[in-house]
Amino acid sequence: MEMTIEAGKDTLMNYIMKNCLWQFNSRGWDRKSQNENIIGKATQILCKEETSRETLADRCYWAEAQELVNEWQCFPWLQKMNDNDIKAMMGKLKETLDYQLITNSLNEELKNPNY
Amino acid sequence: MPCELKEKERTGVINPIFTCQPAGAQYASIGIKDCIGIVHGGQGCVMFVRLWFSQHYKESFELASSSLHEDAAVFGGVHRVEEAVDVLLMRYPDVKIVPIITTCSTEVIGDDVDGVVTKLNEGLLKEKYAGREVHLIPIHTPSFKGSHVTGYDVAVEEIIKHFAKKDKAAKKLNLLTGWQNPGDVRTLKHLLTEMDVEANVIFDIEEFDAPLMPDGNHVAHGSTTMEDLENTGSAIGTIALNRYEVGKAAQYLENEFDIPTVIGPSPIGIRNTDTFLENVKKLTGKSIPASLVKERGIAIDAITDVAHMFLADKRVAIYGHPDLVIGLAEFCLDLEMKPVLLLLGDDNTKYGEDSRIKALQENVDYDMEIVTNADLWDLGDRLQNKGLKLDLILGHSKGRFIAMDNKVPLVRVGFPVFDRAGYHREATVGYEGAMLLAEKMANVWFTDMEYTQNKEWLLNMW
Amino acid sequence: MPYHEFECSKCIPERIKHAVDKGKDENLSDALPLGYLNTIPGTLSERGCAYCGAKHVIGTPMKDVIHLSHGPIGCTYDTWQTKRYISDNDNFQIKYTFASDMKEKHIVFGAEKVLKNNILEAFKAFPKIKRMTIYQTCASALIGDDIKAISQEVMDEMPDVDIFVCNSPGFAGPSQSGGHHKINIAWVNDKVGQVEPTITSDFVINYVGEYNIQGDQQIMQDYFKRMGIQILSTFTGNGSYDDLRAMHRAKLNVLECARSAEYICDELRKRYGIPRMDIDGFGFKSLSGSLRKIGLFFGIEDRAEAIIEEETKRWKPELDWYAARLKGKKICLWPGGSKLWHWAHVIHEEMGLEVVSVYTKFGHQGDMEKGVSRCEVGALAIDDPNELECIEAMYKLKPDVIVTGKRPGEVAKKIRVPYVNVHAYNNGPYKGFEGWVRLARDLYNAIYSPIHQLAFVDISKDEIETDKGFMTRQMFSDTQLDESIVNSKEMHEYTGEFDSLKRLRDREYPQYPMKGKQAAV
Repeated sequence: MEMTIEAGKDTLMNYIMKNCLWQFNSRGWDRKSQNENIIGKATQILCKEETSRETLADRCYWAEAQELVNEWQCFPWLQKMNDNDIKAMMGKLKETLDYQLITNSLNEELKNPNY
Repeated sequence: MPCELKEKERTGVINPIFTCQPAGAQYASIGIKDCIGIVHGGQGCVMFVRLWFSQHYKESFELASSSLHEDAAVFGGVHRVEEAVDVLLMRYPDVKIVPIITTCSTEVIGDDVDGVVTKLNEGLLKEKYAGREVHLIPIHTPSFKGSHVTGYDVAVEEIIKHFAKKDKAAKKLNLLTGWQNPGDVRTLKHLLTEMDVEANVIFDIEEFDAPLMPDGNHVAHGSTTMEDLENTGSAIGTIALNRYEVGKAAQYLENEFDIPTVIGPSPIGIRNTDTFLENVKKLTGKSIPASLVKERGIAIDAITDVAHMFLADKRVAIYGHPDLVIGLAEFCLDLEMKPVLLLLGDDNTKYGEDSRIKALQENVDYDMEIVTNADLWDLGDRLQNKGLKLDLILGHSKGRFIAMDNKVPLVRVGFPVFDRAGYHREATVGYEGAMLLAEKMANVWFTDMEYTQNKEWLLNMW
Repeated sequence: MPYHEFECSKCIPERIKHAVDKGKDENLSDALPLGYLNTIPGTLSERGCAYCGAKHVIGTPMKDVIHLSHGPIGCTYDTWQTKRYISDNDNFQIKYTFASDMKEKHIVFGAEKVLKNNILEAFKAFPKIKRMTIYQTCASALIGDDIKAISQEVMDEMPDVDIFVCNSPGFAGPSQSGGHHKINIAWVNDKVGQVEPTITSDFVINYVGEYNIQGDQQIMQDYFKRMGIQILSTFTGNGSYDDLRAMHRAKLNVLECARSAEYICDELRKRYGIPRMDIDGFGFKSLSGSLRKIGLFFGIEDRAEAIIEEETKRWKPELDWYAARLKGKKICLWPGGSKLWHWAHVIHEEMGLEVVSVYTKFGHQGDMEKGVSRCEVGALAIDDPNELECIEAMYKLKPDVIVTGKRPGEVAKKIRVPYVNVHAYNNGPYKGFEGWVRLARDLYNAIYSPIHQLAFVDISKDEIETDKGFMTRQMFSDTQLDESIVNSKEMHEYTGEFDSLKRLRDREYPQYPMKGKQAAV
């Protein structure tokens, strides 16, 4: 099945919102770094690029990303997508996550300066 | 002296027997029809008390909170009461009576609840609820005084004070039951019906045992009406069963309306039930009918089957509400048992003046300890570390682990009983209650014999 | 209009932003209920207080500790024997509770002396216990007793004891959640870093936000041990005080209930660089994913996979038996906090239940984000529900079952909706693969109870079926089922034991030699 970048992004977004918890950290800055790192690493894994996992933090992002990519094997279209499209789609995915969960979020606690 | 009355030696409490005053006021509140109390304090003071009632009854009861939060704790929270009253009245159109129950926090910060009630009576109720009968009753129950028993006592007095009227047409007997179960109230009403006596039952909680009906929601609630409460001031007499739970209200009615009054004893056991009926007879002029002679006979027959053969000389500890503990101890003595430890769970300093306790001190011929301000560690410590030997424990469910860990069977009686089904339905008072209690003690003992291989063959024939 | 207006709450307009119907093609930036705001007085909200959030929810599950409340007796009494958090320390934490029993004279003159006596008495009564937590209450907060100073005095006099103080009076916040926060921060500030643990594995975690209700923690501990993972501490179910002082030495914080315990994970990440990994211990799919993630983190995903395979094979046929019979039944998912999102999707996907409503008593907007994003379109999401709203919702939504707490469950029962207690559980534990089947079993038993069916019959009006002496659950549940399901040889009812922890007690675990302190990561 052919998948447009936009439709692919929507599918993955739905998957994340349904199944994952990592995007819901309670502060905006944490959400930003979760989205950036986990989507970033998932993109690297999908494109078979080197993924850093030296620090504990990187390892945790990577574990989340790797598990996500493993689960995404249920999407055959993703296996066929080329790296450029993957990168474009994953970029949009991160933008959507940031938009829904940070910049346009209705959660009034995201800006609390303390945990 | 074989019977020693003393206070708990420690300052703190390990495993409490009692909770605090606002809980008692809430128990009074739910006994009244068309009444939802507002507890002025933190939300836990209501949420947990509602849970407590629902654990005992497997029912939910309606109680509201003023939801005191940080700002109110610092700057005062009477505005929370004003808002709570308005919100409650808007959403519960049948509510007519709203006790406003204080707690430790709102007493410490000194919220003027009486003042706010005056303000609401003159303002909100007149303006927004004109034409609707609403009674706001301030009840001061700081948690750092007394216990839920005194909280109940205070609340019943305040409620009676608010409503009692002198010139009502109905001339009934006031029956102030004290803290009872639906089974008890049913039995008490039955005894009065047999004697052809009409009563203002404060509080009639028989409906706490609420049905699950095919036609809609049936919230468990008390059935005592505003009219019953008003009638208390015009009664021909008052019987207050439990001295420490309804003594204040009875005293008030006697002082204010010259109503002939008998306070106590709790009709636990045959003898105390006899006394209760005699008191009813004296106050109403009615005679004790043959039907009750027979009912008493059935109970005595049943108790004879278990008392001297099985229960005699069994050593028991009893904890719980003071009137209950004293009544049970008296009944146990009639059953030839040996109550060796009585635990009264609050800091009332007047227990020594109670004639029933004096009678125990004068007449008990073996070693008995009565501990005031007691907690359940007074029981646990004696069992685990001080060599106390017991055959049975009588008390509520909060002592279940102490009983289990020390392998002494616990006969559930009192409040709360949440680890057995349906006990609220069974009477503790009256002839019926005496019979059920004696049989329950025997049956608990029998089960224990069987599962601890302690002469388990004994009941091979009986 | 995404907001849901309750008829009963029209007179309190500020309630409207607390309930949302999940709409089609809408996302969280379109609608989200408000959360964690001050309660409207007099609504009959279901919320508790910040003291209970600290003491009852988080503090007391610690198993080797004297838990003492400094205040009048009620706070202690109320939060004793009202939960089912067990432990492997003979349940000391549920058997014993301690109160300073503050009285009027103490309110006037201060209760610091009486508190000190209490502490000494309690240690004397239980000489083997050397650890204590002390909780402030409304009364002791308002009179300003310095509990920390008194505790320090005792610690100076008795060097073998250690005391933790939590200042979280009942009024400190809109709900119990205020107390969760306070005790998280107090623990990481005052106690973490004080004990150096013995490390026995290359793979070391703190298991956080898990309270061992009916043994949940012990079920998960079993999986972790089978993977060769060392659980340094559990915050706090079945947890040990000194283990929790060593939290700073873990490589990973595995977080279950983020509502009650994310704060300590976030602080441990900030202060000690320990990453936070949120997991779901419920549901085959989400639990499997969670174990895999942890396995990946440590490079032992094969061990996770072995457990998933074994457990799935053992329990899936039983889950499927119930799922076939629960399919399409409507459920109100009305827990306190985290189960709102732990269960919202898997209970639909794996048991076939239709989640028609989710609520949270004390959750924040973050919890609603998770719950709403996981539940199906059309569900009604309610923040800080009150009794009338719940009754209105039940009449409107006509659920087949409600999962909620003890007392609200009694409300549901009266309008003939069976409930399963998800705070204390009916017949838990519910975590783990077997636990998920136990939940399915309990839901099935509630929905298809023949007695429950009888509750709808009005003998004064309805025709009475005089030809029936009994009905079984399956006589109700299997009539509409496909024959292939009814006659399936693979699927079957739950076959576990009454106490599913029993077989874990003497279990032997594989010994994995340590490669070295740095080897794993």
